[in-house]
Amino acid sequence: MNRGLNRFAILVACATFFLIIAGALVTSHDAGLATSDWPLSNGQFFPKMVGNLFWEHGHRMVATTVGMLTIVLTIYVLVKEKRSWVRKLGVFALLGVVAQGLLGGLTVKLMLPLAVSSAHATLAQLFFCTTVSLAVFTSPSWFEAKRLEEEKAGPPLRYLCTAALVTIFLQLILGATLRHSATWDQKPPIELILAHIGGAFAVTLILGGTGLTVLRRHKGEKFLTRPAMIALSLLVVQLFLGVAAYMTRLASPGDPQPLNPMVGITVAHVACGALVFVSTIVLTLRTYRVLPATHEHSTWAARPQES
Amino acid sequence: MNKQTRVWLVLSIALSLLAMGNACSNKPEGPASNTNGATAQKKWDKPTGTISGVISFEGTPPAPKKIDTAADPVCGQKNPNLMTDDTVVKDGKLANVFVYVKEGTVEGGDKLADYAWDTPTTPLKLDQNGCHYVPHVMGVMVNQKIQITNSDATQHNIHWTPKNNPEWNQSQPNGAPPIEKTFGRSEVLVPVKCNQHPWMRSYIGVLKHPLFDVSKDTGAYEIKGVPPGKYTVVAWREGGAAEKTMEVTVTANGAAKADFSFGGGAATTSTSSSLQMMPAIEFPMVGKH
Repeated sequence: MNRGLNRFAILVACATFFLIIAGALVTSHDAGLATSDWPLSNGQFFPKMVGNLFWEHGHRMVATTVGMLTIVLTIYVLVKEKRSWVRKLGVFALLGVVAQGLLGGLTVKLMLPLAVSSAHATLAQLFFCTTVSLAVFTSPSWFEAKRLEEEKAGPPLRYLCTAALVTIFLQLILGATLRHSATWDQKPPIELILAHIGGAFAVTLILGGTGLTVLRRHKGEKFLTRPAMIALSLLVVQLFLGVAAYMTRLASPGDPQPLNPMVGITVAHVACGALVFVSTIVLTLRTYRVLPATHEHSTWAARPQES
Repeated sequence: MNKQTRVWLVLSIALSLLAMGNACSNKPEGPASNTNGATAQKKWDKPTGTISGVISFEGTPPAPKKIDTAADPVCGQKNPNLMTDDTVVKDGKLANVFVYVKEGTVEGGDKLADYAWDTPTTPLKLDQNGCHYVPHVMGVMVNQKIQITNSDATQHNIHWTPKNNPEWNQSQPNGAPPIEKTFGRSEVLVPVKCNQHPWMRSYIGVLKHPLFDVSKDTGAYEIKGVPPGKYTVVAWREGGAAEKTMEVTVTANGAAKADFSFGGGAATTSTSSSLQMMPAIEFPMVGKH
């Protein structure tokens, strides 16, 4: 275990979260095409940051910083980390940030086609998931975790967590598609709104059920209950933000420009969605770490010192 | 031929067909072709008439909204009272309404689309002045040059989002030379926006003929050079209101009247259409995806 590596991974994960917020600000301000250039802005490294160029070029600057941090993190992982799968994950993070940068450029050059913009937003969440996973895998609690017994009645928590994770990810894809299907001055397509609302019900049911199961089965085991509590709390906040985002977006086509309430709430909804996703990732990884795959005794989960 | 070769061959053919389809869908409309693919060589060289009228606004118009220009101080300095201009009403008369001849039958039985007009060589100007597009609504002919200028001491980008023409986005920093662009296909109307200053909006009506006008501050418009015949005249306004249509008969050297009315109490016949683009009827709408 390397404490420095873990701290650095946490730093990169936090920077990635900030990058997601910066990206969401670009979308809410409809600033993605504030310059037709990429990677420069109006042919400059440091253009005058006025109007919506502040958001678009600001996003590029934050992305560049995250890219550099990821390069350092990958080198750090390759130098200090012994576990080959964590080393591979470090390389995957680097590939992810490069792909994400290229997708960002493609969105500008192709003038925000829905598929590319949605892919850019979705890959952002996957990259965030990767950096958070690196932080989890290098954390002291990962090494110190002790095996727990799975309750015999009911489905294994591993499966429940995985189902919740997949549902949230699908919901994130729907949300990204919804956000990029209409700018602030257009009404979003009703089919996507309904699908996203349906997704919210599915996430609430599955994540809510999973979180409550964790709290019931493993009361007192903070290794599992803490991420479960965080995920559940964020889920409640996210549902309120979702309703507020829907209402402000319905009103925004009548506004003369993107107004702060709409921008703030929609960005908060994106950010909170990312946090729900990663808190569920933490819960899922930890579940895999300490709980057996089935109700039978698992040797995999009993070897914390090896992974 | 092994299986792998066959797969690649099929893929290549499919991609080629897709590329061809895409290229065909964006084929520019010259002034000399019509919907049937036949050459439109006819030119009307006999006496023409005019269609004119006044656009009124019934009821209380929505109040203009103040635009917050704090994000770019240059805008606020040059245009401190920048307001929305989607509904400009003065003494009950509505400005910025795009009125055009949509379709019709010319005297003698030919369709309007069978006739061709010369494309004006003079470019029309679209200026970015005070973080505001001037004019707010304009009409051009297919392939007529639009000269885009930046009169502000700040950077803009011109981004038009048509359905029937290629999308285009170009930054234009302050001091940059004018940009000249054309539309290859007819489209009513093409929205234009600036992603730097999201309140900036303009609309361009693109037609194969010159039979259009935009209402002035007095609500008046006049379409000159209309061959005698029976036509459907359309009035379009920004802001989500229904588009208005009217059947008009024009005689040689005659002056036909077509007044339109928008707003809550407006009684003019209309087709239900949103504020979004609508293709000019004489040309098939080939979607740009």
